[in-house]
Amino acid sequence: MTRSVTINPPKMCQPMGAILAYMGVHGCVPLVHGSQGCSTYPRYNIARHFRESAEVAVSSLSEDAAVFGGAQNLTEAIKNIKSRLSPEAIGICTTCMSETIGDDVKLISKKALQDESTKIFPASTPSYVGTHLTGYDNALRTLVETLAVNGEPNNKINIITGVINPGDIRELKNMLRLMNVQSIFLSDISETLDSPILPGGHKPLLPEGGTKLVDIADSANSLGTIAICRTAGSAAVYLKNKFNVPAILDPAPIGVANTDMFVQNICLLSGKPIPREIEIERGRLIDSMVDVHHYMFGRKVAIFGDPDIVSAMVRFFAEAGMKPTVAMTATKHKDFAPDIKAVNSEYKTDTQILEGTDLYEFHEVVKTHGAELIVGNSKGKDIADDENIPLVRVGFPVYDRVGVYRYPIIGYNGSIYLLDLMTNAILGHKYDPNKLHQ
Amino acid sequence: MRQIAIYGKGGIGKSTTTQNLTAALASIGKRVMQIGCDPKADSTRMLLGGKAQATVLDTMRDNGTAGVTLDVVRHTGFGGIKCVEAGGPEPGVGCAGRGVITAIKLLEELGAYNEEFDFVFYDVLGDVVCGGFAMPIREGYAKEIYIVASGELMALYAANNICKGIVKFAENGDARLGGIICNSRNVDNERELLLEFSKKIGSQLIQFVPRDNIVQRAEINRKTVIDFDPACIQAEVYRSLAKNIIENRNFVIPKPMAMQELEDMMVEFGIVER
Repeated sequence: MTRSVTINPPKMCQPMGAILAYMGVHGCVPLVHGSQGCSTYPRYNIARHFRESAEVAVSSLSEDAAVFGGAQNLTEAIKNIKSRLSPEAIGICTTCMSETIGDDVKLISKKALQDESTKIFPASTPSYVGTHLTGYDNALRTLVETLAVNGEPNNKINIITGVINPGDIRELKNMLRLMNVQSIFLSDISETLDSPILPGGHKPLLPEGGTKLVDIADSANSLGTIAICRTAGSAAVYLKNKFNVPAILDPAPIGVANTDMFVQNICLLSGKPIPREIEIERGRLIDSMVDVHHYMFGRKVAIFGDPDIVSAMVRFFAEAGMKPTVAMTATKHKDFAPDIKAVNSEYKTDTQILEGTDLYEFHEVVKTHGAELIVGNSKGKDIADDENIPLVRVGFPVYDRVGVYRYPIIGYNGSIYLLDLMTNAILGHKYDPNKLHQ
Repeated sequence: MRQIAIYGKGGIGKSTTTQNLTAALASIGKRVMQIGCDPKADSTRMLLGGKAQATVLDTMRDNGTAGVTLDVVRHTGFGGIKCVEAGGPEPGVGCAGRGVITAIKLLEELGAYNEEFDFVFYDVLGDVVCGGFAMPIREGYAKEIYIVASGELMALYAANNICKGIVKFAENGDARLGGIICNSRNVDNERELLLEFSKKIGSQLIQFVPRDNIVQRAEINRKTVIDFDPACIQAEVYRSLAKNIIENRNFVIPKPMAMQELEDMMVEFGIVER
């Protein structure tokens, strides 16, 4: 079918991803060099997904800036941020307009800031190229390019997370702690976008948490970098080329095989053995798969979201005996289709692959290939309602449920939680609530 | 009211030709407005006896949109010609094309077109490099286009390119080519070459303007030839151009030439040797 219109695309623009990357840096204020709406939209998404206020500055370009260039606005924005918040860093992302008029953001920001007390990250993130993941990748690479310097080996492992939730990052940290491995997260929104209200205190404007600038600088001296999001792996490649830091780019550690691979990669880079605790967690995941097998075996599941998370989930659902019918991503990546094809041939499944398309197309394929459950973000709600099947909310943004960002779907523990969510969704949907506990 | 856009390669003499043309029209009693669409803002300096200080965009930048009034940005020059400069960004920053769009929209909002004009001229920077510089011909403002060219290859190459732009906008609107104005560079066989070029693209050579130092002398005195020495031969040439444009009924969608065809023609006329 040929269509010349995109209907309900489950993707966002580059600045959205760049802001998430910057928000995982300690004391960093994201600054959107664009029109007012270019910061409103990401802030709105962050506020309703994370239920956290998002401090995102904007250079507020208008018609005259389009004509004369945005240098004056950007300079004023940087000076205002500095005088109001004196942050450790300002992470700039560009937009459609500032890219099209060709503002030299690197030069303007360098001129605007005379002293070195605030670091500036000038990422180029034109919204009409790629998706939020492209923006995340560009911002993250800019962070590393700006800061990383040679030093003493630090025995740490860099982790590039991609766009995942605070709960996921905390679970990754738990695993690394159990494995007795120190890490540098590039970047880390686990505290900044899920910050506590502590006794006696109010929430500071710039939340505690986030990866410190010195740690990002130190990423050049790590044992290696593991990117669990291949679409955002360019910082890993940069560290490899520039500082000989080994780079491993894999899908997200969801399910047995992918989490095994993640654990093995940690062992490979750190030289440490797999501890008993990790084996127990893995065993619990296997057990949980057995526990729900009679509910979930053969269940048709349709999945959409970011490529590395979708392909990992497809594998996991096949491991758990389900039948993934549709795997859809709006962000194109060369590994996505091969990933799904590999699962199809290993598990004799027939998952349809949709790449770089929209939810309209997803819905059409759901109709023809069937689904008893949809796994994806809140944008899948209408399809689930139309098909009268449950939607298990994962990914970003989830705005019609609370707390989704708090819980992991990553690692052995996260996989258990995800599987339970799905099973309960099936149980809640298929069975009379009064008979649930029989 | 006839709205006319003048295009042509940079440095070909668009502004000089346009000002002498509008001055000639004004000298026979036509009511004219000239809008310079070039960030250099020097399209009306000979009509005004010096460069206008307040361009539309400069005023907008300094005083906001509310500060832009016709009194501030529109000045009356030789023969009652209303002169406006769109202005634009410094070289290397911003978007001059967007500037043209902004300035013309703003002039329209201010009612600059509401008066009784016989002619409104747009003197547009160089080539139709982007959508902004096509603004005068793409939204139904100027329906007549004249291209200033000479016998040099690059001038004809640019003229041919502009024709490609006109073809595109003619599909959706009424923009038509009214003819080629040759601003002579004293190239051999120039008139014949330009006649042939105009014919090949399906249009006409509406005026051959010979090279004459009096244009330079007038320019140094910040005057058009019409103003500086109305009795000279060159002034008569510009009046002839004005007359030809007034009487022109020949408006076409041009047929741009292929690059090879253009080069072959240059060889044929002995301008370029193989």
